[in-house]
Amino acid sequence: MTVLDTKDESLPRAEHPAAEAWRVFRSRPAALFGLLLLSIIVIVSLFGPVLYAVDPFEIVWAPLTPPFETETAILGTDNLGRDMLAGLIVGGRATLLVGVTAALITIIIGILVGALAGYYLGWVDDVLMRITEFFQVLPPLLFAMVLVTLFSPSLPVVAMSIGIVSWPATARLARAEFMRIRGLEYVSAGRSIGARDGRLIWRVILPNALAPLIVSATLTIGVAILFEAGLSFLGLSDPNTMSWGLMIGSGRQYVLDAWWVVTLPGAMIFLTVLGVSLIGDGLNDAFNPKLRER
Amino acid sequence: MKTLRGMLAGAAIATALVVTGAVQAQEPVKGGTLVIGTTQKPRHLNPAVQSGVATAVPGTQIFATPLRFDAEWQPQPYLAESWEVADDGKSITLHLRKGATFHDGKPITSGDVAFSVKTVKENHPFKTMYGPVTSVDTPDEQTAVINFDAPHPAALLAMSSALLPILPEHVYGDGQDPKSHPANSQTVGSGPFKLVEYKPGEHIILEKNPDYFLEGKPHLDRIIIKNYKDVTSMVLAADKGEIDMLPFLTSTRDLDRLKKNDALEVTNQGYAAVGPINWLAFNTKNEILKDLKVRQAIAYAIDRNFIVNALHSGFSTPVTGPVVSGSPFAAPDVNGYDLDLDKANALLDEAGHARDGDGTRFKLSLDYIPGFAEMQKTVAEYLRPQLKKVGIEVKLRASPDFPTWAKRVSGHDFDMSMDIVFNWGDPVIGVHRTYLCSNIREGVIWSNTQSYCNEEVDTLLGQAGTETDQAKRADLYRKAQAMIVDDVPLVFLNELPYHTVYDKKIGNAPLSIWGPMAPMDDVYKSQ
Repeated sequence: MTVLDTKDESLPRAEHPAAEAWRVFRSRPAALFGLLLLSIIVIVSLFGPVLYAVDPFEIVWAPLTPPFETETAILGTDNLGRDMLAGLIVGGRATLLVGVTAALITIIIGILVGALAGYYLGWVDDVLMRITEFFQVLPPLLFAMVLVTLFSPSLPVVAMSIGIVSWPATARLARAEFMRIRGLEYVSAGRSIGARDGRLIWRVILPNALAPLIVSATLTIGVAILFEAGLSFLGLSDPNTMSWGLMIGSGRQYVLDAWWVVTLPGAMIFLTVLGVSLIGDGLNDAFNPKLRER
Repeated sequence: MKTLRGMLAGAAIATALVVTGAVQAQEPVKGGTLVIGTTQKPRHLNPAVQSGVATAVPGTQIFATPLRFDAEWQPQPYLAESWEVADDGKSITLHLRKGATFHDGKPITSGDVAFSVKTVKENHPFKTMYGPVTSVDTPDEQTAVINFDAPHPAALLAMSSALLPILPEHVYGDGQDPKSHPANSQTVGSGPFKLVEYKPGEHIILEKNPDYFLEGKPHLDRIIIKNYKDVTSMVLAADKGEIDMLPFLTSTRDLDRLKKNDALEVTNQGYAAVGPINWLAFNTKNEILKDLKVRQAIAYAIDRNFIVNALHSGFSTPVTGPVVSGSPFAAPDVNGYDLDLDKANALLDEAGHARDGDGTRFKLSLDYIPGFAEMQKTVAEYLRPQLKKVGIEVKLRASPDFPTWAKRVSGHDFDMSMDIVFNWGDPVIGVHRTYLCSNIREGVIWSNTQSYCNEEVDTLLGQAGTETDQAKRADLYRKAQAMIVDDVPLVFLNELPYHTVYDKKIGNAPLSIWGPMAPMDDVYKSQ
């Protein structure tokens, strides 16, 4: 990719871009805090159920017992008498899974559409952008509700729906990056030595356009988690998989009398989204040389 | 001290008497709007072809019936100013009021009564209600004679509330299918209120019928039935005084909350005839559930007391048979399957369903009606870990809205489902339908969606439905109920704790046996 001979010891050794990004990221306390927060949540979600092996669906104590009243359910129970702590630990898995899956769907569709539109321009761009605009003007929550309603509430459907309503922004971002990069000299150079479109798109332009897309994808995880919580609040979540959204959805009726049934899973969602957002901001700084000097 | 307390109590009673007396003596105020809150969305507003509360509350305001019932189960004149039951019980003669008209100004005749009986008989999900009708004679404009092939003790009750709305033949008799007739949503009736606007999912606006056949009524100018997305927001609206009446409220925490509001009255009166039962239904055509032992095992695995006391805070009451306890035909002595996990496990072993490595015997799905969380979703969520104890893995199947659930259950596309079904006053009307072999009708909700069939039960119900001797009738029902409970087409769980919450400004609140499913022509609102 570079014409410089990096073996020439007389030149100053260039820092690897990833190392440089990490150095910047590391210098941002907020970003590090976000990383720590999310790491704890992910580790607890992954290994917590092994250490605290209580079935989150099992009824263990009297319904709506407040926190710290019984050792059996230290964080209290929900409206059925199920252990809140078990729900919080296990619930993170589904919530994070939905968030990550939805973000992946967003990024895949977004890059595919954006790359083709931004690279080929012309009628391809016109057609793809009209489609993108069509999805962009639909109210996202409403559209997601319609999709979940049509295909019954289950985790894959919820993740798909969130992905389907959130990709247009990523597509536009990818398109802008591709339009900018496709005119740069190294792309022309690639084309002049006979590289085909496919190679130029996926091997030459995409790696150089990835930085802002990674930032956007990270932030999408946060948005997707909030989305899942929103759908659950409206009762559109999979009742067979414990998730923070499900806990909020079934607890919302009792919020006036039992604060903990909604507040605790709500706080978990808040912390997760906060962690994800801080990481996203940190990555943005790390990848963006213009902001880096501030 | 004792005397003082006695005096205070006496004074309190005296005050109460004075207050009650004052309320009763108060002249009904003319005018005003009654706002009724609900979370239920009707399919349409014609009770002749659709059962259910969502249609019945507006339906009984729009359509008048031949009779109405008071709070003591006594029939009262309504569209019919008098009636006679033949000595052999095989016919009823109705004498209609002169000069009564439909909302479009056309007179109501005996021909409309005959047409309505025919429409209800052919289209209403309660087949047993007008099944015995052989013909309706109309000797003159004001007289209708309904003939039965056998004595029909439930007939008078079946002419009240939402059960026999008198439809104008000139509107509904144009040959279109009554189930999908456009006038089901743009109704023409003869009741105290007429339809002004119907926005499905939002509101139903009813306005006073100025030509109502009962002089000086209704008192109200308007009734607005307002749809709420969920019970919580509806209850908050009632607490703030935005709603005048909340019928059919069951959520115990909300009832507790509203009881503390001094401006509101909370009562469980008005639901005597409804007889609402919350139950777990089996699709007896299902490969696993067609085995009686499996169904019995599930019944033994469920703890009714936990549902009633822990999940419903003691507001609801357990039900062990097809007829609710308030009815003269209840059979509290039939075996109602009390919790016994050992027995449940033994039955499942006998049925040949061994546990696999995870302890699971088999998997079943469980549906529930959306929007009644405390009675439906919560109980379904309870059943999941509870049935796991005996090795049954339950997968909950959520329905985004009522029509989706209704389509699944009426289409027999389910394993198990939570359901709420009403007794509707007389067993002939609301109980027979669930168990008769002849009422297995795909596509009709609250028919025999369990596909349960026992010829002996059919025979007993048939006899009970035509027995005019009350004691003999009760005995036949007891036998039928014992058989049904033995066959377990469903597991009876609890009676719904229905309550009506209304603003104290509302006078003559609808508290007869049919409660809010009766014409509100006496209701008024003081300023």
